[in-house]
Amino acid sequence: MILFLYLDQDTWIHRLEARTKIITVGILFSLCLCFNHPLYLAAISAGIMAIAIWARALPNIWKLRYILILLVIFSTLLWPFFAKGPTLLWSWGSLQISQESLLYGIGMGLRLATFVVAGLIFLSTTRHEEFINGLIRMGMPYPFAFALSTALRLVPTFVGVGATIIQAQTSRGLDLETGNIFRRVGKFIPQAVPLFIYAIRHTNYLAMALESRGFDPQSSRTLYYEPQLRRKDYGVLVFFVLLLGIMLYMRLGLSLGAVMPGRL
Amino acid sequence: MVVMGHEGAGKSTLSYTINGLIPRFFPGQYQGRVVVKGQEVAGKKVAEMSRHVGLVLQDFEAQLFSSNVELEMAFGPENHHLSRLEIERRIQRYLSLVGLEKLRRREPASLSGGEKQRLAIGSVLTIEPDILLMDEPVTDLDPQGREEVLSVAQKLKEEGHTILLVEHEPESAVGADRVWLMRDGHMVARGSPAEILVDVPMLESCGVKPPATIELFSAMGWPGKPLMVESALSLIGQHNLTQSRPLNFEVQFPLGSGEKFILQAEGLEYIYPAYGVKALRGIDLQIQEGEFIAILGQNGSGKSTLAKLLNGLLKPTAGRILVQGRPTTAYRHREMAEKVGYVFQNPDHQIFARTVVEEVEFSLKMLGKDSQTMQKRVAEALEAVGLQGYEKKVPFSLTRGERQRVAVASVLAAQPQVVILDEPTTGLDYRHQRSMMEMLKRLHEKGHTIIIITHSMWVAAEYAERIIVLKDGAILLDGPTRNVFFEEEKLAEASLRPPPLVRLSNILGTRALTVAQMVRELRI
Repeated sequence: MILFLYLDQDTWIHRLEARTKIITVGILFSLCLCFNHPLYLAAISAGIMAIAIWARALPNIWKLRYILILLVIFSTLLWPFFAKGPTLLWSWGSLQISQESLLYGIGMGLRLATFVVAGLIFLSTTRHEEFINGLIRMGMPYPFAFALSTALRLVPTFVGVGATIIQAQTSRGLDLETGNIFRRVGKFIPQAVPLFIYAIRHTNYLAMALESRGFDPQSSRTLYYEPQLRRKDYGVLVFFVLLLGIMLYMRLGLSLGAVMPGRL
Repeated sequence: MVVMGHEGAGKSTLSYTINGLIPRFFPGQYQGRVVVKGQEVAGKKVAEMSRHVGLVLQDFEAQLFSSNVELEMAFGPENHHLSRLEIERRIQRYLSLVGLEKLRRREPASLSGGEKQRLAIGSVLTIEPDILLMDEPVTDLDPQGREEVLSVAQKLKEEGHTILLVEHEPESAVGADRVWLMRDGHMVARGSPAEILVDVPMLESCGVKPPATIELFSAMGWPGKPLMVESALSLIGQHNLTQSRPLNFEVQFPLGSGEKFILQAEGLEYIYPAYGVKALRGIDLQIQEGEFIAILGQNGSGKSTLAKLLNGLLKPTAGRILVQGRPTTAYRHREMAEKVGYVFQNPDHQIFARTVVEEVEFSLKMLGKDSQTMQKRVAEALEAVGLQGYEKKVPFSLTRGERQRVAVASVLAAQPQVVILDEPTTGLDYRHQRSMMEMLKRLHEKGHTIIIITHSMWVAAEYAERIIVLKDGAILLDGPTRNVFFEEEKLAEASLRPPPLVRLSNILGTRALTVAQMVRELRI
């Protein structure tokens, strides 16, 4: 089971510092929030897709293609029921669909999909150690950051063991396909207990291994991948901050890019 | 230095006292003192002790947590606040020592078992400890992985490192300087391998398998105490103890005796959907009722995949499997539990109940049996595995060997004709391995078809009637045990080697697979 999205490539974006990438993703999210007109959002999406291609993150986006497509479709279908606009296209009783609400729905779909893509680019280009180092440099205490990182690491291990446990119980006759909801809950126990016990054993063992290799949350340590903000990191940050400024001005100052000006 | 002894003898406990995990991590009653390099361990933090004492554990999965090999190696020195230049130097040096230079950027999860354990050793070495403790580092590995790790240990020894290795197999202890033998928390004997490994009754009392060559020589009353096949051969030549004879195979192969097949595989292929890797490429196989089969092969050769296909857990990508003439895909999982039982390698992956009885009757409950049948079946299953009197015990509190038996009993309760066991002896000491295999032998005598997947060559040689060797998802060898173990060159293709006694047997031209058989044959 491969749950980690990191793609070991050597692109310009991979070489950016984790802090730069964390902040940039935050800015990208804000950019998406600047507009709700689908055309403007499409432009931002296209820009972010270009970054994805540059970062060679497309395989991961391809993996999640159905989710992305579903996000856009559902958003387009559902938003018109909640957001009302002046130009009526179709109505049936109290249900009304307006041109604005349709466009708004498409825009929201694009926005959500773009959030996901931006996040994927980050995860595809940043090792979890770099991510953690970045967080430490941004002020997170090391023990906390390490716990977070370990939790991330343990997920695929537990998923793998969970699959084995299900197989083991299935071959003892556990039938997961039939039965009503209450019977199914009962069947959960033979799967959950071994996994729970495994988790306790495993973490205990991991703690032993960590301490035996000199891990001590209180003492200071070297970071082998020394996070260093270089000139290009500052360049990227300045660029995106400027971009955010321009877009905020377009929306707030020039009132551009909004099909529904009252909404975010 | 190699520490040997039975399960629960205190081997791990002893090694944990050396790096301070005891009493720091596991509090308890602690008396006496352990001194490492003039410092008393008990007062120190484990992290402090890690400068002097490195520890490699049995479970290589749980020791690795970084996202690539290089960072895994860097973790120890990072904790000790070394400069990045120094860390870089140490990574270089120890990666090449454990032979992983080429895998520097790889993710640990994608490595083979042997590579993972070598990485675990390397990641401890980068701290440059004075003493390296290895607690059963090869127990969970396939033969190839064992060889890799032991040769790293040998290399370290030659470089002058102090190594303390906890091990079960006497063959791995032959090259050590000293052997410590433990029993019930006591140090029973200390000495060179030539002193310790020759004392058969003492080894057996400590739950350690005596070297087959020693057993043979003492049973035959031959002079000398050879620890290895090579030295045994030179002794035989020197004293003209016996003559090598031509080996004639008249082994009656059970195949084709007209009985019905219980399991058949036809053109079987399997591709794991998540990876797209072809795990099995065209397997044809017939298994009769009442056979005792061992499936051998390295990890990744397709053994477990084949076994899971045989009981319908996986569906074939191409070809089919017939159980009593009916394809596995036509059975429901529940029906399958009554035909082909599967005991997974790690009993803890299935144990969940509060008492042994509850655990064993689980499959019967799932099958909807009435309480009378359940009682009867549970009692039978517990008797078959030798756990009468354990009914009310909590499964989690039992030893690993006993938990393994509970797992077997819980599969037996459904009374499947075929029982498949994935590595039934891994993680058990010699005594428990013997009793597990004797139990399977009894089941086999009662008429069950037994299929084991194993890395243990002597287990396969002594108990199986038929051996199937898999390599890269295809059958390399399939035949009666004696014949398969004679094909040493073919076996080497799969990086396998017959156990020492059978190698000797091949050279001497005997049909024997056990010491007792060989003694009988040589006495004629």
